[in-house]
Amino acid sequence: MSENNVIEFAHVAKRYPGEKTAAIHNVSFAVEEGEFVCFVGPSGCGKTTTLKIIAGLEQATSGTVKKPKNVSMAFQLGALFPWLTAFENVAFGLRQKEGMHESSITRAVDQQLEMLGMLNFRDRYPSELSGGQRQRVGIARALAVDPAVLLLDEPFSALDPKTTAELHDDIIKIWHRTHKTIVMVSHLIEEAVSLADRVILMREGTVDSIYHIQLPYPRRENEGFHHDVMRIRKEFFK
Amino acid sequence: MWVGYPVSFAHRFYVFVLGPLTVLLLMYLAFSFYPLLRPAGQEVPLSTIIAASLFTCARLFIAYVLAVVVAIPLALLTTYNSTMETLLLPVFDIMESVPILALFPVIIMLFIQFNFLNGAAIFILFLAMLWNIVFTLVGGLKIIPKDIFYVTQVFGLHGWGYMQRFLLPALVPQLVTGSILAVAQGWNLIIVAEVLHTYIPGGTSAQDLFGVGSILVAAAANAQNGVFLGAVFVMVVIIAMLNLFVWQKLLHYAQRFRFD
Repeated sequence: MSENNVIEFAHVAKRYPGEKTAAIHNVSFAVEEGEFVCFVGPSGCGKTTTLKIIAGLEQATSGTVKKPKNVSMAFQLGALFPWLTAFENVAFGLRQKEGMHESSITRAVDQQLEMLGMLNFRDRYPSELSGGQRQRVGIARALAVDPAVLLLDEPFSALDPKTTAELHDDIIKIWHRTHKTIVMVSHLIEEAVSLADRVILMREGTVDSIYHIQLPYPRRENEGFHHDVMRIRKEFFK
Repeated sequence: MWVGYPVSFAHRFYVFVLGPLTVLLLMYLAFSFYPLLRPAGQEVPLSTIIAASLFTCARLFIAYVLAVVVAIPLALLTTYNSTMETLLLPVFDIMESVPILALFPVIIMLFIQFNFLNGAAIFILFLAMLWNIVFTLVGGLKIIPKDIFYVTQVFGLHGWGYMQRFLLPALVPQLVTGSILAVAQGWNLIIVAEVLHTYIPGGTSAQDLFGVGSILVAAAANAQNGVFLGAVFVMVVIIAMLNLFVWQKLLHYAQRFRFD
């Protein structure tokens, strides 16, 4: 086990009550501090279960899990509280922290909203925001608590290609600026290759193969992009 | 934040003018063709009918508050996990199916021991309202997206904070819908709930509760058409005002709490 690893899974398995087969089994991998890792794989391969274990939303049935306490997560479709404004949604996690003054909360929230280009929409309710804007607020909420690890659960799956491309750029900018460890789940190989340092391909509940991506950003315009996509795709459809 | 409810002129016109006029016209026609109902007996002043209606409203209000206070924990308990749901839902189904009026004589006998007949009426109204709210809340809890529950877990929400910042706001739309159904059920039952003497062996009308329900029954029994019409009219006006100034506004307000 390396000291640089913020997350370590060793032979982890998870079986949901009442299920005959394990959702994941013998899953082993490590994520270094500041790394951007993306899990890809077909539906039901166990990538979301893995993410939930990192988030503490599920407990492993067996194996060893090392993860920091301060983990935050952005969900599909933003998962915002409809009765709260964008500002209050982002402040949601901060208000759970003891001893935080209102002025500190306001400063932290506005900073996150500004970073994601949402400061002008701070008083709007989720119903008054587009899908992309909701997702931005969801990411701002996850970042506001200054997590050691930011988890992204298919955050772009419901967005149009233009908004997705814009959010990809934003995520990369945020990652470069904050040096956060990011673990993302996606069902799109292109998305994983365009964003992550490392792509972990999962199949039938376990880690199938791991790919290091060493392309400069922005990657989609890079010649090696399609090569990396094809090399993962070959395994994906094997 | 309170949001103004955009009520159209047509809506107001229907609620305040056409609605009561239609009821009055129908009542007039019914009396005209029903020879057994002839004007007779002592009349009751309108002020008494209004005062009685206020007593009725107070009973309904107390029963409603009690129903909400009991329904929320029951709904939360039912949806706490699948075991609780399997255990409790069939029990609630059976309890809801038992006709409330079948329980009324027992309830009256119980409350008569404490010389608290108002309690009997309130309790029967409470039972009538309770299940509407419970089942609507259970339905509401089941449609909250799973990711929203995960958000509360990720940010470590628990205890009173979980209730106050998440569960209670999330239940607002269903609470409003359940409340409308519950109060309507209460109005349906009010006549029986206030006319207690029919359920007491050897009972007299002196044991009836002062309210618009008992006035309606007494007026019908004594062929006091004017009183009957007046009581119905006051009741329709109260229900219309409740609809326009409370339920419609709350329905509109609850939209903000609805998950897409």
